[in-house]
Amino acid sequence: MGTIKAWNFLRGYVIIRIEGLTLERFLNLAASNDIYLWDINRVDYTTLEMKVSIKGFRQLKEVVKKVGCRVELIEKKGFPFFIYELKQRKMLGLGFIVFFALIFYLSSLIWHIEVIGNETVATDEILETLEKENIKKGIIKYRVDKDYLENLLLKKYDIFSYLSVNIEGTKLTIEVKERDIPPELIDKDTPCNIVANKKGVIEKVIARNGRVAVKKGDVVQKGQVLITGIISDEYSDIQMYVHAEGEVLARTSYSYKVEEPIVKTVKVETGEVYKRYQLQIGEKGIQFIQGDIPFKDYVENVREIKIFNLDLKLPIKILVHEYKEVQSKKIEQDVEFIKKSNHIKAVEELNKQLPPSAKIESKDVNHYIKDNMVVTYVVIEVIEDIGEKQLLN
Amino acid sequence: MDNKVSNLKYNISEALELPKDLVLDLPKIVMIGNIQINISNHKGIIEYTKEVLRVNSTIGIIKISGTNMELKTILSEEIIVKGNIEKVEIIS
Repeated sequence: MGTIKAWNFLRGYVIIRIEGLTLERFLNLAASNDIYLWDINRVDYTTLEMKVSIKGFRQLKEVVKKVGCRVELIEKKGFPFFIYELKQRKMLGLGFIVFFALIFYLSSLIWHIEVIGNETVATDEILETLEKENIKKGIIKYRVDKDYLENLLLKKYDIFSYLSVNIEGTKLTIEVKERDIPPELIDKDTPCNIVANKKGVIEKVIARNGRVAVKKGDVVQKGQVLITGIISDEYSDIQMYVHAEGEVLARTSYSYKVEEPIVKTVKVETGEVYKRYQLQIGEKGIQFIQGDIPFKDYVENVREIKIFNLDLKLPIKILVHEYKEVQSKKIEQDVEFIKKSNHIKAVEELNKQLPPSAKIESKDVNHYIKDNMVVTYVVIEVIEDIGEKQLLN
Repeated sequence: MDNKVSNLKYNISEALELPKDLVLDLPKIVMIGNIQINISNHKGIIEYTKEVLRVNSTIGIIKISGTNMELKTILSEEIIVKGNIEKVEIIS
């Protein structure tokens, strides 16, 4: 049923109204002349309404002459008439074509370049490199040679261990994985010293090469030589330069101070929000003000309304100034609780500072109250390797 | 004479299981519920209104009564009627 309708639509048909007295004869003649009529409807005694194909409508003329009735064309339907109409309205057709061409063209451009996973190499730097290869916003996406781009970036930045270039719609995504940088190694044959990289008390020195310059219990400052690569003989002036190597374990301390007021004022949002809109064109802006801000204490928050979810810088912006009403509240906290939370905070902070190989020896926590403040002082003593290689000059 | 020929045709069609509407030149009337009726092998329309449709055939006039009847298709060998069909009469 549907296919027949679709076929009829494609071929085109007309709805006609026939007036006359011998309509049955008309129907019989049409049928015997092989003119296909469908959806015949009796409107009243002298009128019939029906559908007929374009070809059939031409053939009907003879039948009409024979029967002697009047034919009135009511409606033209179907694809051929649509095409005809389009021909009459060329600009409309042109508009259609331009519209589709524009959509196709715009969707084949790259509108956004995203770099994911880079930590040490700046995104701008990668984008700059791409720009040199003529890859930037607004180029046709079919021109991007992904393999070439991957090779180029991998070659340029040694730090990338993995790189993939993907185009999704109008977005170019560059996903990278950076490898962990190996520490700068000094060649084994180059003479060097081992110096302290921080202040500490020496616990143990194990020298695999070179001469130990400090002993247990020595307090060393940053930069002090711990194992020297210069070996001199007591009996001669000849100095030998070697590549010093070894571990220097020293006691070092890390401290952290946390302060927290006992009575503190907290700004609590009441939930009341007052909005002001601003239309910004270029540098200039117009603010739409309706009365004063009805709050005494408030926090201002400026937000941009993005009309399109695009990363494009449009010259026209709509800004919303949101004023949130706040109320200051004084809260008195429990001293014991503050002590505990300060302690936890300080230890967490210290843990970030500690090198992973450090061994914690002792922890000292001090609390004291000063001018409405609980001050917590945490000192952690650890034993760690403080040796660092330094070239001899 | 005519009767003899038609009797022979009937017997042959019966013996060979041939469709009788073709062999005997009879109209074939197919009804789908009371909403549609197909008449093949007709001999032309005599009257058509929304309430009554009379179709000529070899066995006489087939009169179909109903309401809102619409001719869905007319071809030289088949008529399809749509609508609310109430009565089918054969007037010979």
